This record gives sequence, C-alpha cells and structure tokens, in this order.
Amino acid sequence: MSHTPVVGDHPQESPSTMGRTVLVVLMLGVATWMYSQRPTPSSAASAEAGATPAPEATPTALAGFRPDAWYLPDDPLLGFVEIPAGPFQMGGDPTTDPQAFENERWSGARGQGTVGLPAFYLGRYEVTVAQFAAFVRATGFAVSEQTLQHPLDHPVSSVSWPDALAYCRWLDTTLRDSPDIPQALSRVLGDRWQVTLPTEAEWEKAARGTDGRIYPWGSQASRDRANYQGQGTTPVGRYACLNCPYGLFDMSGNVWEWTRSPYQPYPFDPDDAPDDLRADALWVMRGGSYTDPPRNVRTAIRGGGDPGARRPFMGFRVAISPL
Amino acid sequence: MAVFVYWGYFWRPVYDHTWLLVAQLLFAYVFDMLLAWSRRDHYVLGFGPFPIIFSTNLFLWFRDDWFYLQFLMLAAGFMGKEFVRWQRDGKSTHIFNPSAFSLGLFSLVLIATGTTDLTWGQDIATTLTLAPGIYLFLFLVGLLVMYCFSITLVAGSAAIVLFGSSALYSTVTGVPYFIDSEIPSAVFLGLHLLVTDPSTSPRTPLGKTLFGVLYGLGVFLLYSLLGAIGVQTFYDKLLCVPLLNLSVQWIDRLVRSLRDSAVLTRWTPDWTPARANLVHMAVWILFFGTMTAMGATDGRHRGDTLPFWEQACAEDRPQACARLIQIESNYCGDNAGWACNELGRHYREGTIVTADPALALRYLSQACELRFQAGCVNLLHQPRTTPTRADPRALDLRLLLREAGPNLLEMPEPALYARACDHGWTFACDSGRAP
Repeated sequence: MSHTPVVGDHPQESPSTMGRTVLVVLMLGVATWMYSQRPTPSSAASAEAGATPAPEATPTALAGFRPDAWYLPDDPLLGFVEIPAGPFQMGGDPTTDPQAFENERWSGARGQGTVGLPAFYLGRYEVTVAQFAAFVRATGFAVSEQTLQHPLDHPVSSVSWPDALAYCRWLDTTLRDSPDIPQALSRVLGDRWQVTLPTEAEWEKAARGTDGRIYPWGSQASRDRANYQGQGTTPVGRYACLNCPYGLFDMSGNVWEWTRSPYQPYPFDPDDAPDDLRADALWVMRGGSYTDPPRNVRTAIRGGGDPGARRPFMGFRVAISPL
Repeated sequence: MAVFVYWGYFWRPVYDHTWLLVAQLLFAYVFDMLLAWSRRDHYVLGFGPFPIIFSTNLFLWFRDDWFYLQFLMLAAGFMGKEFVRWQRDGKSTHIFNPSAFSLGLFSLVLIATGTTDLTWGQDIATTLTLAPGIYLFLFLVGLLVMYCFSITLVAGSAAIVLFGSSALYSTVTGVPYFIDSEIPSAVFLGLHLLVTDPSTSPRTPLGKTLFGVLYGLGVFLLYSLLGAIGVQTFYDKLLCVPLLNLSVQWIDRLVRSLRDSAVLTRWTPDWTPARANLVHMAVWILFFGTMTAMGATDGRHRGDTLPFWEQACAEDRPQACARLIQIESNYCGDNAGWACNELGRHYREGTIVTADPALALRYLSQACELRFQAGCVNLLHQPRTTPTRADPRALDLRLLLREAGPNLLEMPEPALYARACDHGWTFACDSGRAP
C-alpha cells in the first residue's frame, strides 16, 4: 500500500510559475467557495429539525386576534379563561358511558374518581398557526416543514411535545417582560403561576365541567359542535359551543392536544410525576382530532403520545397554572 | 485495496463508494496525462495514480452533494506533484507526497472555513474499528508492504513513538490519551501510507527513523491542539505530513552531518539493506506482539466505558471531563437518549462545562424526543429544579456498549445487562437482570 517511487524526476524541467499560480488560485477559489457554503447556526438548527424557516411576514389583521400581542385573542386576558377551583369527576364511567376505554377507568370497581383542583386558566382556543409563527419569528426556533403550512387561524399542528413546551416557555417570558399586556393578565401571572401545558386533569375539568358530561356540550355526539370525522383542521373559532362549561372552543376534535401529564394508569396522581423513569416516555394527549370517530372526541378520552411525534392531527393549547 | 475490501465488508458505504473510486481513477489518469502532455511530449503509463487515489480515499471523501470537490482535491494533488518541486540529490523532484499534500491542504481549508461536515472524514476514522481485528489486519498487510518497499523504519518508529507517548501520558495522568485506544486505528493506517512514499521521505535508515519519530510526535501533539481549538481530531494524521515533507532536506543534512560522527559509525551494523529491513521487521513484529499481548491494539479498551470517564471526571483527571462531554456528544448524536439527557444536565448545571441554558434545552428536547423520560421531566421543570438523572434504557445500552463496534440491536437483554455490568454500569449488576 505504499506509494511507489513517483514517476517524474525531470531534472531538465523547472517548476512552472504558471502552474503554481494556477494551484494557488484553485485553492483560494475552493476555500472561498467552501467558506460561502458553511452552515450558519440557524440553517444548521433548521436542518437538524428537517425544517422550514418562519414566514417572513404575517398579515396585520386576523379577526378576533391581536397582531400587536403575538396574535393572541383580543380580550382582557388575551384568550385565557379562568377555570374556578373545586372538585370534578374524572375518568370514563362505563355505566353511564358505554364507549369508555379501559384506560379511562379509575380502577376495576370504580369508573371515575374525584379530583380537586385549584383555580387555573386555559386558552379559549388551540394555539394557532399565527401564534406559533410569531414565536418562530421571534426566536428562530426550528420547526418541521408541515408546522406552519396551514392557514393562520387554524390550530398549529405537527408539533412535538418539546416544541409545545418551548412555545409555552417563550410565551411565559414574553408576557412577563412585556409592559403592554393587559393589567388583568399581568395580575394573573404572579410569581407562582406559569404559562405551560395543562395537566390532563385540568384539561378534562375544563372540557366537561363538574356535571360529568361525555362531550363538552352534553351526552350525544354532534358534528355541528366540533370538527371530527373530517378532512382537515378548521379555523379555531368556527364551532361555537355556547353551552360548553367554560366557553372553550375545540375541546373535542380539530387537533389532539398535548398535556403535561405522563401517560400512566389511573387513578390520577396529583403529583403527576412519571412512575418509572426507565420506561419509554409517553405523554397524554386529549380531545381527539379531525380524523377521529365520535368515540375518540369524548372528554374522557386519553391517548399516549410519543413526545417526538410531529403529526398533522396533533397540536396543543396553553394554560396558566399555579406552580 | 485489501483494506477497502475488509473494511467495506463491515461498513457498507465503502462498497457503495466503489464506482466513485473507479471514476476518480479515470479522472486521475486523464488529468495526469493532460498535465504531462502540457509539460512534456510523452506520458509514461503506469500504476502511479492507484496509490494516490486509494490512500486519499482511505482518509477523506466528500459527501454526495459535495463530491465534485473530491476531484478538485485529486487535481490539487497531481498539480502539487507537478509544480511544487525542488532539487534533491541533483534531481528535480516533487516535494510533497501527492495524496498527503491534497489531504493536508484540503483539511486545512475545511478547518479554516468551518466546513468539516462536508466530508465523511469523521465516519471514516471511526468505522475502521467496525472491522474486527483491524489492527492485526493492518499489521499483517503492513508487513507485506514493509517487506516489499522497506518502509519498516518509518512506520515502525512512528508507531513506537505513538504507543510510547500514549502509554507515558496514561501512566502520568491515569487516563488514556486517545479516548478509546492506545493509537487510533486510522492513525495506525496513516503511518503505513502517508509518510512512507520514498520520493518524499528520507532515504537513509537514520533519516527514515527520524522521519517516523517526527510523524509520531506530530500526530500526538496535533491531537491535543485540534481538540483544544474545537476541531475534529481525526485531522491529526493528515495535517503534519506536508510539513514533514518540507523537512526532508533538513533531515538529510542532519543525517549527513551525523554520519561522520565516530559513535554513529561504530553503532551502524554492516548489513545489506534487505537484511537490515528484515531485522527491523523482526523488531517491529516483536513490538507489535508485545503491544497486542498488553491489550493495546485490538480488543477492549478501558476508555471504551462511560463509567470510567465519569469516574475520571469526578476525580478531576486531566481532560477527563472534556472527554466525557465529547463521548456523550457522540452517543447523543447516535440517538442515545440517556447521553442527550446527561449533556443537557451538564450544560444546565455548569459544573463540568460552562453553563449554556439554550444548549441544555436543545439536548433535553432531543432526549425527550428520543423518549427518554428523565429528559422530558427535566424539560418540563426547566429551570426550577435540579436536573433528574436516570439509568440508561436497554435501547441506550445497545448504543453505549458497542465499543466502537457495530451496535448491539440483536443482543438479548440478559447478555446486554451482563455486558453493561462488565463495563462498570453498577445498576446493571444490581438490577438482577445480569445473569
């Protein structure tokens, strides 16, 4: 494998100045070209996530949302709705809801359990494409190619669990640092409150209230009230739900919503910590999506989501919860 | 070619690269011919381009989108051979080993322009060990070359210096110098190929020995230097060769001045070159055999195990924490969620590395997306609580325990945990999963 003596000992020749010049120019050209092609930090991050850059601009107006406030809803709490403190019945009871899945049952004997929660706030709508794009624009966060493809007033989808948490962290910091947010919201964001994902108990209470309803609007499925068994996502305010417990939209269907609860068997533990750190992580998703049948958009439905999954039917909404 | 065949059997991309090798050979012949005809009126057809192409491709290929640069690299090598020359022993001869010149030059450009990711260099350097017994294989093939081309003094002295320096460092500091070997397999290959071209290396025995010693020292020092400036260390074996080629005349002069020394004359045996080479080979065989018997070549190395580096870092051994971060980065890059969580923890805590909250979040997110639960928990509670640690899962162990060999996806769990226990993962012994 050694180099054989190289042919070309030519004592009669002198090295060509032209040849050396060509060699130097060649190398300088290569160096310049390669330097211009080097990955920049943002392009490297985007490549890592197989990603697309944030849209350069978003429209200045989107009915019902404030472009000057990161496209959050235009109301005194920027779309956060208070869910009062108190207990509720959590889980699927097969005696009143024959469609209940095994993983919704509290235990063999009991279908449901009582869970007491302090007051918290939950987003009226699922997080929209416009809101997530504002975050991506502000931070350079790398997202998948599909994440920002839908219309701006649709729920953002194809976001992983860490993506959703990253948005929550950014919104928390942004709201706290902004002098212009409504005073009412500023008061809510005290020292011991945090913008984050809801726990699955918070989510379920906000969806079904305290009277144990199967769907947010009552006990019967209704395609007039939610986007399920459909073809794709719909704008977040399309399905009005006047008789839903707290006036929240899309608690059934449109997109599955990430929670901050690890997926593990009931009964729900108020500590909400994973039992086994060596088990593969799964985090609870709630609410079903536009792809699902009525059974999967009930208020008690719970799915275990791979935290790294980015699917067109998976999104989230944000909560402000006490720490 | 034998190295390509053996290595490719265990790392498929080498065989996939075959047609590109053929294309490079054709290009090399055409380019060499055109270059010759532009300078002279004749071209001598021979096997000259073969060793240049093969030895270049044993160290660096550009990735698919950038492969055209491979041809430019070859062109630079041939132009260097043709145009960068000097008078040596009354003859005009090229200064640089053509493949080492182009490799060294392009390595420098890649490093200077921050584009080292455009090549397969890192993968090439690390996948050689996927072939079992690679040191023994290279040694045996090397013996053949040593016998035919009398390169024993150069290759042997370089290897002896590297083994010796590595052992000395290890004795003084308690940790291996090269992370998971006494001498990296790619360096072992390099010292057989890159510095042994007779046209560009000294021709006297003492000169050859000095040349090898300088190569060994150069690689040893460059490894630390490149690591210190945050550059991939596999360039260590490439960067120093052109400098050594430039020093050949100086070495020749030094040897000539020493030749007159009475002491040296007394110690120079009156052997024929062929006989002397056989004696040198015998010494080399003895040395390599001793190294192998001491476990310094193929087989397990203490630097293979993460618990070793964790312990060394905790004991504040030189460079141990930096190496730990480097190893964990490699495993995180291989999608071992445990390693990503550890990195996230280190960058959040800032105890063994400068704290970097943004980088910590990135690693924790990666750990979580790889379904490593502790990574998700740490991400959720960032930055309120002390980061949570957890033992590696079976999936992580399949990556962490491969000792630079193939991953262990097929290994049954009891065997996997037994191996983990053997590698110092105490939880694997305690968990009762080890038989």
